[in-house]
Amino acid sequence: MLANTLVYGFVNSVILVLVALGFNLTFGISGVANFAYGAVYILGALLCWTFFNSVGLPYVLAIMLAVIITAIAGALMYRFVLLRIRGMVLSEVIATFGIGLALLELFKYLGFIGFEYSLPVFIDTSIDIGQVVIDMQRIFIVIIGIVMAGFLWFFTHHTRTGLRFRGIAQDERTALSLGINTDRVAMLSVSFGAAYAAIAAIVILPLGTINVEQGYSVLINALAVCIVGGLGSTGGVVLASFLIGYGQTFTVTYLESHWVMLVPLIAILAILVVKPSGLYGEQKELEERI
Amino acid sequence: MSPSPLLRIFGLSKNFGGVQAINDLSMELVEGELLGLIGPNGSGKTTAVNLITGFVKPTEGEITFRDRDITGWAPYKIVRLGIARTFQMVKPFYQLPAYKNMIIPLYSPRVKQMTGGKYGDRDAKALDLLEEVGFERDAFVAYKAASALPQGYLKRLELAKAIALNPDLMILDELFSGLSLAEVASIVPIIEKLRQEGKTIIMIEHRLKELFRIADRIVVLNFGEKIAEGTSDEVMESDAVKKAYLGAEA
Repeated sequence: MLANTLVYGFVNSVILVLVALGFNLTFGISGVANFAYGAVYILGALLCWTFFNSVGLPYVLAIMLAVIITAIAGALMYRFVLLRIRGMVLSEVIATFGIGLALLELFKYLGFIGFEYSLPVFIDTSIDIGQVVIDMQRIFIVIIGIVMAGFLWFFTHHTRTGLRFRGIAQDERTALSLGINTDRVAMLSVSFGAAYAAIAAIVILPLGTINVEQGYSVLINALAVCIVGGLGSTGGVVLASFLIGYGQTFTVTYLESHWVMLVPLIAILAILVVKPSGLYGEQKELEERI
Repeated sequence: MSPSPLLRIFGLSKNFGGVQAINDLSMELVEGELLGLIGPNGSGKTTAVNLITGFVKPTEGEITFRDRDITGWAPYKIVRLGIARTFQMVKPFYQLPAYKNMIIPLYSPRVKQMTGGKYGDRDAKALDLLEEVGFERDAFVAYKAASALPQGYLKRLELAKAIALNPDLMILDELFSGLSLAEVASIVPIIEKLRQEGKTIIMIEHRLKELFRIADRIVVLNFGEKIAEGTSDEVMESDAVKKAYLGAEA
């Protein structure tokens, strides 16, 4: 049973990495905590479902279109809402939370409730890893999670736009003084974050159904991972995902499944007491006390 | 006929709430000139720079650069037009190595316009520029994170970033502050070289002795207003300047 727990704990941790990467990317670059993130995640999944099942497009094309349109939706949200309130943290939280709430309720109003709303697995088979049987979709989740985290690292360290992302993340005034259109870069970061949410949803949700209510738990998980890891830190996201991911898996295995939702919340409380800036947080201890 | 000014400021004013930071400021700058902008603390020098570079929007007035009205433009657009600035409180990207700090301006839209997108070897260019401003190549200082550099190097990095943008007008905000006499003496030749290359420069300084040696003209501000303009000798003879600096009737 331990081997099983370790393997499925690993997959669960990568799922959390996937879920949190987009939220963390947006916050790390633009400073916007996108509380509509859970709704954007569901939007990506429902768009993919619609293109595949209602429009009848090939699955690969449906995935591509869903990711692109979700990314555009993120850019539009920045352009028409966040741009006007950027830097006013409370307004950003209220506005994005409101947009998320409205989107999720709209999906329910449109009738996206029920078991028929599910995405197909990429390959319907399973393999043995030692004594543990694992389905190919979970293998894909691990591979895509590693690829997406690796791509993010490569993008921010080895591309011109990525370097600009890091620039405005570190000092927006300096970036402006060097000719960088920081609003455009921030819009791109929200857009990229939305695309990451859509990819995560399309890879993860074939394990179950598209349940609109999951938008809330996705947001809580993303928040927990980012707060525990240190907002804006990719290394922190990975470490916190593994801590919370294994915590959840061990809870399901050795306690009871209804305690699972408590794990991220306890992790948030614990880190706020011990190290408020998170494991890899960049704030100095002194600043935390002020 | 006198040449058309590169930068023209007319009737510029800025209120912050009830505080009149800049009041009806007008001045001109011709190509190739080095203008010193001086004044006591709180006289509005940095606000004037922020207005010219778009970091603060004016309440009234007009700013033109090469006869284009740039009043209220966003800072990144002003940089693309050819005005670069340094900050009084240095603002590097602290987590990046010094040479990576240079890559961002070297890949900027301004440089793209100038080079037609042929950037060349950016790393080599970054290291060359840093060497020009005093980063000893043999000591590998350029590879250190900006957060690990002492103030002298941070000031040089600030200058190098502005040079990397290949601007027509450079605004250097208290570049000499916090530096030793020897450090200032090593930076002055860099500024003189920039002038020989045809750059137009505005220097805001409290180190008047060093500034007066290299500036063509001085503008003095006090309480947001221009109180004197001319050569260094002329402005230091001004009663208004003596009063502003010494606080006594001349």
